[in-house]
Amino acid sequence: MNLSEVTERISRKLEAKGAQPDRQKIESRLSRLVEEFGVNLDEAERTVTADLAREHNVTGVGGSSTEIRPIHEIVPGEWVTIEGKIVALTPPVSPSIAQTGIIADSSGAMRFVTWARANAPTMEYGHWYRLESAVVDEYKGAPNLKIHSGTTIAQMEKDAPLLPSITPIAELKPGVGSVRAKFIQEWEASHDRMLQTGLLGDETGTIKFVIWKEEGEGKEKLDLDAVYNIFYATVDEYNGRLSLALNTAMYITDEGDIEVGRTETEIRGALVHVAPGSGLIKRCPVEGCNRTLSRQNYCPVHEIQPEFRYDLRIKAVLDDGIRARNVLMQREVVEALTGITLDEAVSIAETNPLGMDEIFYRIRNTVLGRYYTCSGNEFGGRLLVNSCTPIVFQPEELASLLNRAGGEPA
Amino acid sequence: MKPQSAFEREPARRVFASELRETRYQFKDGDDEKSPTYVILPTGIRSNRIFIVGTLTEKERRGDQNIFYRGRVADPTGTFFVMAGSYQPEAMQQLARIEPPAFVAVVGKPSLYTTPDGNCLVSVRVESIAVVDRETRDLWVLDTARETLDRLDAFGTTDDSRKAQEEYGTQPDLYKKIVYDALTQVQL
Repeated sequence: MNLSEVTERISRKLEAKGAQPDRQKIESRLSRLVEEFGVNLDEAERTVTADLAREHNVTGVGGSSTEIRPIHEIVPGEWVTIEGKIVALTPPVSPSIAQTGIIADSSGAMRFVTWARANAPTMEYGHWYRLESAVVDEYKGAPNLKIHSGTTIAQMEKDAPLLPSITPIAELKPGVGSVRAKFIQEWEASHDRMLQTGLLGDETGTIKFVIWKEEGEGKEKLDLDAVYNIFYATVDEYNGRLSLALNTAMYITDEGDIEVGRTETEIRGALVHVAPGSGLIKRCPVEGCNRTLSRQNYCPVHEIQPEFRYDLRIKAVLDDGIRARNVLMQREVVEALTGITLDEAVSIAETNPLGMDEIFYRIRNTVLGRYYTCSGNEFGGRLLVNSCTPIVFQPEELASLLNRAGGEPA
Repeated sequence: MKPQSAFEREPARRVFASELRETRYQFKDGDDEKSPTYVILPTGIRSNRIFIVGTLTEKERRGDQNIFYRGRVADPTGTFFVMAGSYQPEAMQQLARIEPPAFVAVVGKPSLYTTPDGNCLVSVRVESIAVVDRETRDLWVLDTARETLDRLDAFGTTDDSRKAQEEYGTQPDLYKKIVYDALTQVQL
């Protein structure tokens, strides 16, 4: 952040209230505070905003604002006063941070961070606080409330019950979200620090979730196929894909069932490439690992594993002439598509001089160059195929193309 | 930050033999040694990979030190010249095993050669080749007809098609006729 950005922000705030501030004046006052008096920029901004607001006789701007704002209306760049309840506290990730967590009111919830140098009183879980002159910025694509040395914190005597509003999964945005969802798929934890990961779904779609391991008691695991009310989960965005971290959340099972709206993608095209690593493969038997072993039965984590188990898969590219997409087919799909079962594949591989390569060649020769319709879920730029069916010739398509090509006389 | 999926594999364009035969213009997208080379197809799209299905009518082994295979693949409109050399050992071995005549699906890169007497030849460097059936051949004719018609519909509206117009003076009606004739050879 630099002075001109702050100047711009202050003048915009004042203009929004109908004043016509002089930008040069704002900048010179800011630079005087920052450069001559060594005031930090946050504080300088607050001071200048408050001074100018007084001079222009406007209220409800920045530091002088005492108007309470509903959390869901707040956008990055604003100075606000809010009243909210601390609904989650998370361990600070850096020594310069005193506290992080989620503050909520009846309109919504937002992540907050208290800087160590703010010397602010510690807020307690489950209590209501009035925060004056906090500033909202954007962190990892989500609004984030910053509590700095200019923020006034007052604990309130209030204990109003707070019912978070549930957001449909398809409408979640980075930040904080509450959902009512069913735990539909459990995945192997890909990291030592992960307690549980998988897929949650509601009527509008599905989303990946993670529960990280914590010190002490930690969080509880979810039960597969149960429906949960999940309040105040953290919504993160990574590579354009959202996921939920449940460590900030409170979750309780709910009655009833949910008809999960599958966001299945369907693609049609020719299978133009069968990648190495397709066919019969060996997997690491260590629980929770499941990695593919090398030819020498070597797992990148658990070293030599002679007690491997076999699996079948196809990694391929399906191409419609406009876009080439990676697809991954698991055993059931491969068996149905190629007519070779895992057991047959193993016995062929064990009796054939080419071994596992024989399965790769057979599968490649069966599927390469053929037209298929694949449907499944997209993850990390790859379609996990749930079903794959060969495209069959449709005479009416020939007729319509003939019309198109011959429709206008040449 | 660039997303991990920033790399996108080049799609394999569908093109009839008689269109590929007319292809003359080739360019490199970027100055890097590894920048992809494209041809501009007469119906107005860049391509560095194509997908063809036809009948392998002939194959021959050439070369002494550097063995390579050449083959002819016929579609309803003409013939593709395909080749696979020692730089594509898998493709070469696949091609070596196939006995013509057979329906084959070929994924490969189009490349242009100028013969000593000044003729320009288009051949397809095979990435992979597999034996398929008649139905796949028919599906490919429909697929290629559709994509060719789509390109003709967009002709004149894209940069690539303006380039094609400039290089080839493409007459869209001519290609429509080619598509029509190809479709009439598909038996119901």
